[in-house]
Amino acid sequence: MSIDRRSALLSWLFLAPTMIGVGIFVVLPIIGSLVLAFFRWDIITSPQFVGLQNFTELATDSTVGISFVNTAVFVALAVIAQLAIAMLLAVLVQSRMPPWLRVFFRSTFFFPLVLSAASVSILMRYLFNESYGVINWALSLVGIPAVPWLTSPQWAMVVVIAVYVWQNFGFSFLLFIGGLGAIPPEVYEAGAIDGATGWRKFSNLTLPLVSPTVLVASVMAIISSLQVFDQPYVLTRGGPGDSTRTVVMVIYESAFRQLEFGRASAIGLVLMVLIMLVTALQFRLARRFVFYQ
Amino acid sequence: MASSSNITRRALLGAAGVAGAAGTVVAWPRLTGADIPGRGEDALTVLILGTSQDAAGRQAIADAFMEEHPDIPVLIQSVQATDWGDFFAKILTMVASGTEPDIVYTATEGAQLFAERLALPLDDYIAHDAEEMRDYFEDVHPSLVEAFMYKGSLFQLPLDFNAANMYLNLDVIERNGLEMPGEDWTHDDFTELLRGMKGDATAYYWTNRLFGGVVPWLYVNDTSFLVEERATGGEDFWSTFYPGEERSGGYLWTGSNARHERVHETVEYMRGLVEEGLAVRPEEGGGNTLVGLFASGRIGTTPAGGYWVQGLAEGGMSPEQYDVQFFPRWRTQRHQFGGAGYAVMKTTKKADQAWEWIKFTATRNAMELAFPTPSTTPARRSMVNDNLYTGVGPEHWSRFYDTLDRFPTSGPIPAPPQQAAVETALIRNISTALSGGPDQVDRSLESLDRDLRDVFSQEDAS
Repeated sequence: MSIDRRSALLSWLFLAPTMIGVGIFVVLPIIGSLVLAFFRWDIITSPQFVGLQNFTELATDSTVGISFVNTAVFVALAVIAQLAIAMLLAVLVQSRMPPWLRVFFRSTFFFPLVLSAASVSILMRYLFNESYGVINWALSLVGIPAVPWLTSPQWAMVVVIAVYVWQNFGFSFLLFIGGLGAIPPEVYEAGAIDGATGWRKFSNLTLPLVSPTVLVASVMAIISSLQVFDQPYVLTRGGPGDSTRTVVMVIYESAFRQLEFGRASAIGLVLMVLIMLVTALQFRLARRFVFYQ
Repeated sequence: MASSSNITRRALLGAAGVAGAAGTVVAWPRLTGADIPGRGEDALTVLILGTSQDAAGRQAIADAFMEEHPDIPVLIQSVQATDWGDFFAKILTMVASGTEPDIVYTATEGAQLFAERLALPLDDYIAHDAEEMRDYFEDVHPSLVEAFMYKGSLFQLPLDFNAANMYLNLDVIERNGLEMPGEDWTHDDFTELLRGMKGDATAYYWTNRLFGGVVPWLYVNDTSFLVEERATGGEDFWSTFYPGEERSGGYLWTGSNARHERVHETVEYMRGLVEEGLAVRPEEGGGNTLVGLFASGRIGTTPAGGYWVQGLAEGGMSPEQYDVQFFPRWRTQRHQFGGAGYAVMKTTKKADQAWEWIKFTATRNAMELAFPTPSTTPARRSMVNDNLYTGVGPEHWSRFYDTLDRFPTSGPIPAPPQQAAVETALIRNISTALSGGPDQVDRSLESLDRDLRDVFSQEDAS
């Protein structure tokens, strides 16, 4: 056997475990889901081919429509809040402070990310309880009446977003810490000579130089938030009404509560296409707004 | 002096490969699930909703059964789920993967789903062993049995149940100079009682779900959000075991009744309680935190069944600190209940053995093993006694069973085969109805009506 062939064989051998894993657990389910989207299937009876019916029904399904609107609102607000908070804290943590304090802040801000989303949401459900929650108790101390955080359509989404952002901004924060750390100090020194301080320093120097990291962070934040499930499911079960019902919740409910696996697959495919389109759009916009050193 | 040896990269890779292969061989039973107790054994598998501790708790019944039937090995399996709907979905995925159990312990919420699609009717077995079964049926209220009848056939023997009763916190009542209401109290009396508690405790704490949410209020107002009908059939059964009882072949929920004026009246009443600050806006499902809140005197009243007694005792509440009452009268005093029992899966190859299990678990001895504490209400009337409640239960524990005995029209949780979709529609629209003004009630009930029509038309189409 020639060296080239042996080398190629060895390469395939190393790749095989990953490829088998991806094939079984990613590619096959995607193909299965694609096929299922054209069937009506409730597990018990045999699948029945219905063509595009699952997709056409989505167009007139008010719950699906509301869930896409809710998800869009959630993504817009959660991603902006997540990136803004992460950036603000990253800049603050990268400013002058003792190294031990920096390590403390980095660990603290990252810590919520390693917690289970379900556990955090259960805890938050207690905190935000209208009658017995600590939040309303604290507000009552300053004379503010109890707020129906989780049982009012106006407040429920706010809480879901807040809990999600609290738990997830740590990842963007870490990315920004890395991005900020990679900016050469000479750039700031030159900027200081030119009189750039405060906001001008941030907007004219820091932000452009960290823009590749912002792109990565925003792509990941958007993809992740488009698939939000745990927080609204545990906190509100999508309620009150449909006010916090997200697309992935509708997929779950269609498949595992109402046993409409075809409908669930169709919604899943629409979401997948949406995620791909949004990501492609982001990369297209990145050509104009992202600066590589 | 340190010595060093050279291991070639090839040798290292080879060793890693051998180690990986050896690890795979060693882990094979785990990888294939062959080390799961009972997997591959020819045992009668019984699936319950709960944790592995719950399964272990039922092992005593399995042991007693196997002592009587040494030729029928039994394996109790548990599936954890957030609620019955989640449990049913998991069972269906087990069916799809070919690992379905022989028997499933299921509640009213899933009774018709099972009857329609998954379970075997028990009629022939019951008729065959009629004499053996007579003792059981003499001890069990016909309402419970009727709830597990579907289109004239009986699919489950109810072993336990819970009626929606009103729990009243006597500490809160006493603190506010109120009196424990009588059995014939009305919903107006209830409102006044809540007004007397306002400011001191959460007067009425409730959850938004199919059991204990808005449905008991609909029932006492002589209505429901679904059209309720009765199936024909079952005459032989009723004449054999309950002669003189005019019962049907089971409940049928055939469509939406959400636009009925009494449904509107009921939901508007609940909205009014919320608006006046007498009741909380209900969260969906759950209720796990309630025991602690009630036991600590922060809730005045809440709807629950006999399943709460043990929890309150464990939460440190003495029997003198609370009592139970029937739901208040409105146009009627019809109550809501839900039961549970074992269903035999259609797919089982051990139907005869499964019937032996069902028959055994319905005996008094087996039920005493199953329900040693008041964590539910046993379906056998004779077991709801002083022994079960003395020192633990409230003064009027007898009301748990009296809810059936004294109100024979009390009905089950409205759970047609499409229960999951029906429950989703109800919860979603009721929570919307309660979060706005009177107009919101109109809009929400219209929406509920639309959703339910969709659910039932889909079922008709399929």
